[in-house]
Amino acid sequence: MKRSHLMAALVIFVLSLLVPLVVQTDYVLQVLFRIYLFAALGLAWNLVGGYAGQLSLGHAAYFGAGAYGLALFSGRLGVSPWIAVLMGMAVALACALLIGGVSFRLRGPYFVLATIAFAEVLRLIAKNLPEVTGGDVGVQVPALFHGNVNRAFYWAAVVLTALAFATTLAISRARFGYYLLAIREDEDTALSVGIGAARNKLAALLVSAALTALAGALYASLFLYVVPDQVLSIDVSNEIAIVAMLGGAGTALGPIVGSVVLESASEMFKNIFKEAHLLIYGVLLVLVVLFLPEGIIGTISAFLRRRAMFGGIQASAKDVAGD
Amino acid sequence: MDFYAALQAVINGLLTGALYALVGMGLALIFGVMRIVNFAHGAFMMLGMYATYVLFTRTDLSPYILFILAGILLFAIGYAIYFGLLRPIHGKSDFMQILLTLGIGLIATDGVLLVFGADYHQINISLLEKNLHFGQHISVNAPWVVSFGIAVVLALALYYFVMRTMTGRAARAIAQNRYAAPLMGINVFRVQAISFAVGIAAAGIAGGLLLPVFYIYPQVGDQFTLKAFVMVVLGGMESIVGAALAGLVLGVVESLTSLYWGNEWALAVDFVIFLLVLSLKPSGIFGRQRA
Repeated sequence: MKRSHLMAALVIFVLSLLVPLVVQTDYVLQVLFRIYLFAALGLAWNLVGGYAGQLSLGHAAYFGAGAYGLALFSGRLGVSPWIAVLMGMAVALACALLIGGVSFRLRGPYFVLATIAFAEVLRLIAKNLPEVTGGDVGVQVPALFHGNVNRAFYWAAVVLTALAFATTLAISRARFGYYLLAIREDEDTALSVGIGAARNKLAALLVSAALTALAGALYASLFLYVVPDQVLSIDVSNEIAIVAMLGGAGTALGPIVGSVVLESASEMFKNIFKEAHLLIYGVLLVLVVLFLPEGIIGTISAFLRRRAMFGGIQASAKDVAGD
Repeated sequence: MDFYAALQAVINGLLTGALYALVGMGLALIFGVMRIVNFAHGAFMMLGMYATYVLFTRTDLSPYILFILAGILLFAIGYAIYFGLLRPIHGKSDFMQILLTLGIGLIATDGVLLVFGADYHQINISLLEKNLHFGQHISVNAPWVVSFGIAVVLALALYYFVMRTMTGRAARAIAQNRYAAPLMGINVFRVQAISFAVGIAAAGIAGGLLLPVFYIYPQVGDQFTLKAFVMVVLGGMESIVGAALAGLVLGVVESLTSLYWGNEWALAVDFVIFLLVLSLKPSGIFGRQRA
């Protein structure tokens, strides 16, 4: 990324922080919160699903671990909320070690199915152990912020997105990031040149799980309440993956763009489709696969690359002709 | 008494298992011939249920006749989806195929939700009041027995289709080697379309047969998608016989889990078995080793 791009990103970050000074409506701030939250989630997913090319449809597991970690460690054990957030992240990391340990030995559809199954097992445990988790009735979540709550949560989501974006940039420019790309492109070849595929995929998943858990804790704390079918359901996993795929998996900007498009679309269609709001996700998924397989950002940058290359050829042809 | 309770649970499990088997065989057929993990499979089962339900409320014919129409309808839908959506992305990564079928499933489920609403429905047929008694302790509800009988016949028919007919042979040839098959003069697209449509029709028919004994609501298929995956992995991914056996096993395991631990743990036990098989013996319990 060029210096000018970095400056642009910083400017956008600062402007995003200033938004609540202009926008005071709770509704708008909540929608913006959701956009930033899912941008952060998409970025976190992208490390595993985009850069390392491992299609996880079980990220609800880490999201739920963060949400329930905050609720249970703080509510049942009396730990202070922010410490409980960290403990929730630790639980998510433990889940990631277990899930990664089993499922990264599997490839293709087997891997996808294993990630779904793990998240589903967690959801069913949360549902069926009411003494611990409150079961289907749910459990209260302590407030992380007081006072002007919507504004505070909005800021937290912006900071989280910036954190996830910075992490993505750092990883994509490091040796680690290139290892992940090599594994995505051809795992066997990566192994043959000495890249430890299992170790690197697991490392990417750990980073991803920690960020996802943080987002889960934020989400739960905004609603002050959490139930299994809300934070651990496969719909959450799907939404996270769709955000990243729509914007462009394996690009740093993709998940942010994807979240803006998906969340605003689902907000707009909410009143038309009511409880059938997942219809818009289905339609977007089919359209992306058929017409934009590289996502919005992926397609745009491929177009720019092609144009640059074509322009380059013309220019060099002119050079030759000029001789 | 305890013995009879367990025996009753096993019998109930086998009755449910035969319908699971039909769903699982459909998924196994599709995976074997197309290497596509059909994430919309349960949604198609749900469509079969709703089709039978709508026909039942309009015509008052028995659901045990109407399921045939549902099967034909689902066959047509499957055929159209293959040529409209799946063929254009032929040869793309697993990734894309999974996302596409996921999208199709969401559209089907929420489309039905939009049209029919989220309410639970149940049909009422006189057969539901009949119970068959075996001795003093064992009794089964008549519709389950009828559905079981039809499911067994259809499972055998599906087996015959795959093993004995020319299209079935071609489908197995594609499953064995999809590069050599077209060189032998097999029209891959046509055979894949038929296999996909048959696999989906099997799910739809199972839905129709479940209608008399199940509540229907738009998301009813979701858990069947996951259960079908469990069966197919247990059965060795592309073996339809393996999937059928796995369906029966799953039915019995769920039924016994419900008896001893409670109904709410049945699905969790499915997934734990699934994860154990995936991590210890990825080729499946009934399958042969494959790379």
